[in-house]
Amino acid sequence: MDTISISAASGMRARMESLEMLANNLANTETGGYKGDREFYSLYSSLESTADPGTGASTQLPVIESHWTDFAQGDLRVTTNPLDFAVEGEGLFAVDTPRGVRYTRNGSFRVSAAGAIVTADGSTLRARGGGKITLDANGTVEVGTDGTVRQNGQTLGQLDLVTFDRDALNKEASNYFAASGNAPGRPAKGAILQGKVESSNVSPAESAVRLVAIMRQFEMLQKAMTIGSDLNRASIEQVARVAA
Amino acid sequence: MIRALYSAASGMTAQQLNIDNIANNLANANTAGYKTRRAQFQDLLYQNLVAPGSSAGQSTVVPTGLQLGLGTRTVSNEIIFQQGDFASTSNPLDLVIQGKGFFQIKMASGDQGYTRAGSFHLDATGSFVTPEGDQLQPQITIPPNAQSINVANDGTVSYTLPGQTQTQNAGQITLANFQNPAGLNSLGRNLFQPTDASGAATVGTAGGADGLGGLLQGYLEQSNVSVVDQFINLITSQRAYEANSKVVKAADEMYQQVNSLRQ
Repeated sequence: MDTISISAASGMRARMESLEMLANNLANTETGGYKGDREFYSLYSSLESTADPGTGASTQLPVIESHWTDFAQGDLRVTTNPLDFAVEGEGLFAVDTPRGVRYTRNGSFRVSAAGAIVTADGSTLRARGGGKITLDANGTVEVGTDGTVRQNGQTLGQLDLVTFDRDALNKEASNYFAASGNAPGRPAKGAILQGKVESSNVSPAESAVRLVAIMRQFEMLQKAMTIGSDLNRASIEQVARVAA
Repeated sequence: MIRALYSAASGMTAQQLNIDNIANNLANANTAGYKTRRAQFQDLLYQNLVAPGSSAGQSTVVPTGLQLGLGTRTVSNEIIFQQGDFASTSNPLDLVIQGKGFFQIKMASGDQGYTRAGSFHLDATGSFVTPEGDQLQPQITIPPNAQSINVANDGTVSYTLPGQTQTQNAGQITLANFQNPAGLNSLGRNLFQPTDASGAATVGTAGGADGLGGLLQGYLEQSNVSVVDQFINLITSQRAYEANSKVVKAADEMYQQVNSLRQ
């Protein structure tokens, strides 16, 4: 293939992956505590082109090298449900799942039959210093902004909020993040607000603009590819023609 | 690309279910004792195209990798047991629970059901029954010649007979509570049934030290559906559905362009 087509094909492939990422963001606009993913474009340079920058023009290709998760604050929605906790500022809730400790910003919890505070899939919310918080069936649950849980005038424990370096968290299904190398994380300074939940931080309007941009760029690359093939055809059909 | 199509489709399915749930909430905006249900969503699995920590050269590793999500799913629609508004009815057989707790109902099948709807009637034998004819537990019977019926805050039911000033005690209404009321199974007809998730019922005295709510006579607990909130949810859900359908269209158009590459 010629250089134009190769570059354009690589660009088209990258836009397809961008669209896949955008589709996942938009599908999760109603997922509580969801954090949007963004792509990180980069340039692939083959060995020849880096060895001799003057000649190897053909082997630099645009690729999506990695993704990054936008940890911006999502909007807080008032639910008045006493077991809805929203984190304002930095920090994630620590949850004991069957696979180990996972972290989430989805603060919509409930009580298990045994009285523990659990997530929608039944994993236990961790208290500071490990362990769990067990509620009584009767009595109002009050949670302070520092995460202290009180019921019937008694302090039952404090919710654990932890933070990590940006690159240390990887997304898992069901609103969970896993820490790479199972690092314990640092205590976070975020405030816990009871009776509110954090919505997804994906903005549908911005995503719509990005959707249009992806489509148009894709269209342009497709045109570039057509031009590349036209040039090829011209060289095959016309340059090689022997004048009669 | 196929991933984009399926992710968008999962978003559309989730929003469809969200709207089904909102429709049911709105349909029950005037059902006494109805509790709002809220749909909850989670993201689906992530596909690792470039694994984080994989080698990018002889001495460097990829710091974050490339993960592509595969859409969303509905995880549950939980019941929000927030207190509904009280409507005054002046009917002595209308009762509300001010706080936690459920009335215990013996269903026609013989199983025990639980309800927040305190609209009771007397049947032919003078027993407290629901509008469906299911009996309130413990059974309370009022004689036909009773003049006035009084239900105290702690659930004690008393009545007066003609020509008498002294009140007669007809029994005490007790309430049930659950460790996790959101885990109850909705049976319809305003009735709930315990599950493994809700835990077993603990029965106690109304308005007492058990932490259960007190009873109030002559009022009815309205549905706790906030019509305004439901409409806002309806709008956001509909727009989210629309946005996902746009992604389907975009993916389709990009496919079309790929297909037109070969002239």
